Amino acid sequence: MNEKRLRTLLREEPIPGAAEAERRGLELVARAYAERRPERQPVRLRRLAAALAVATLLAALILSPAGAAVRDWVDDVFTAGVDNAEPTLTGVPGGGSLLVQSPRGPWVVQADGSRRLLGSYEEATWSPHGLFVAASSGRTLSAIEPDGTPRWSISARARVGDPRWSPSGFRIAYRAGTSLRVERGDGTASTTIAAASAEVPPVWYPPGPHVLAYLNAERRLVVAEADTGSTIDAARASPGVVGLSWSRDGDELLEITRRGIWLRDVRIGKLAGFFQLGAAARVELPAAAVVRGAAFAPGGHTVAVLLERRSAAGPRSEALLVDPSGGPARRVFAVSGRLTELVWSPDGRRLLLAWPAADQWLFVPTKRGDRLRAIGDVASVFSPGRSSRAPFPRIEGWCC
Amino acid sequence: MGVENDAIEAVNLAEPPSGREERKLIREAQRGSAQALSDLYAAHWRHAHRAAYFVVHDGAAAEDIAQDAFLAAIDALDRFDRRRPFAPWLHRIVVNRAVDWGRRESLRRSVGDPEAKSAPPPEAIGEDLMEALAQLPVEQRAVVVLRYLLDYTPGEVARMLELPRGTVNSRLRRALDKLGDLLGEER
Repeated sequence: MNEKRLRTLLREEPIPGAAEAERRGLELVARAYAERRPERQPVRLRRLAAALAVATLLAALILSPAGAAVRDWVDDVFTAGVDNAEPTLTGVPGGGSLLVQSPRGPWVVQADGSRRLLGSYEEATWSPHGLFVAASSGRTLSAIEPDGTPRWSISARARVGDPRWSPSGFRIAYRAGTSLRVERGDGTASTTIAAASAEVPPVWYPPGPHVLAYLNAERRLVVAEADTGSTIDAARASPGVVGLSWSRDGDELLEITRRGIWLRDVRIGKLAGFFQLGAAARVELPAAAVVRGAAFAPGGHTVAVLLERRSAAGPRSEALLVDPSGGPARRVFAVSGRLTELVWSPDGRRLLLAWPAADQWLFVPTKRGDRLRAIGDVASVFSPGRSSRAPFPRIEGWCC
Repeated sequence: MGVENDAIEAVNLAEPPSGREERKLIREAQRGSAQALSDLYAAHWRHAHRAAYFVVHDGAAAEDIAQDAFLAAIDALDRFDRRRPFAPWLHRIVVNRAVDWGRRESLRRSVGDPEAKSAPPPEAIGEDLMEALAQLPVEQRAVVVLRYLLDYTPGEVARMLELPRGTVNSRLRRALDKLGDLLGEER
């Protein structure tokens, strides 16, 4: 049969009683919708209800024992108090291994909570599959096994920092003084990418080829081929960039500033090997908020953002999930206090938030149905034997 | 075709909203906007109802199936991933339920259930096409509707019905050949 005719017939033939069916269907659907979600209360009543809820929460917090200020997760509204933070780190909620930087050096925390101090290094980063750790100390860059066994070390002419292992596992980018360099994963050769770069950690192109993005000394965003150092494309970076994140598929770069986040399309010709940076577009966030951290989800384009807002009562922090396609941000956690770090779990199901003032890590679910887990007494775990209050550790990574 | 019948309304298939508009409607419906839900309904009901009708050939059943699909959508609204388009998700429910209904009807007819309906009365609609469609197995009607009414590619149809793509292509080919034979078209 002629396809065009069939298409026309299926689309244009009137159906008997169609309008009546549509009207009945709408009545039924509207009724089901109303039963599922009763009409919202007027704004004034909602505010009153919210005020009562807050008062109740405050009372609960005041009456609860010291150190029990962990809030439960209530999606999209605000957090409520619970008093059952786990007293110490006995495992990594959701699994995987953490890399944690303490004053004594980086620690590897396995999924079962066991941990090992790798040595006296100042910064560290996971290799893509967690088989190694690249760590820096002074002018030295080292590759270490997670059990602490050193594999190799190289010396640079200046202080080494911001090591980042490539997704392929065969390259490590790092800053040495102001220069940006790339070392082979076996420590046998290195390439200078830029003699002068901004103090922003470089990011690797996630899909695989040895391409990275960084900020040069003029604070231009540069995409470069890592084995030759040649520039592929460059564009003026958003003002005040302090961090970068590249989406898993490589299609978007995130530029993080203290006052906002910017998304930039990256056009990629996989066969021709070209990368073209598009214009950066500011992502709408709550006004007057300071960005404490932001990163793409491991498997997609959702961006997690940690914000802080000031009020007369002190700082208030919130973690949002932002839909770059334009949907509203979804708040997954909020608390009165200062959260300082945000790290995605490898499977994207949790965010790890650091709360130094409460000496806690919060493992916040990103999907409904999962439970928030809070772990207390974090600092002392990574500074054993220290009698005075230990510094709160920094989270360097959460690996597979 | 030019059928004159008071019970027949002019066809006016709504243009589906753009992806951005649809995401906005779903977001607002998730937040409790009855208007957004109504707009979603208006955008998708006619295609859904029409698809069900051409698969089952029964007005009442088509209405039930389309209603069920929308009720399922309301149940799943909070869990719906807004990055995904709404229509394929809805159409998948509609067509799979329509196929299930068609299979049950075939079974009832084959075991002599006195309440089982025979082919729908053709007088109100393009008679030759409806008669021809009614003679296709329900599985072939489903792929025809997904391909030529709802415009999915054979690959998309295969995913929606969880069939190998080759099976979809062969069903389409057989359906077109049979419709052509029944309608007296020359190949």
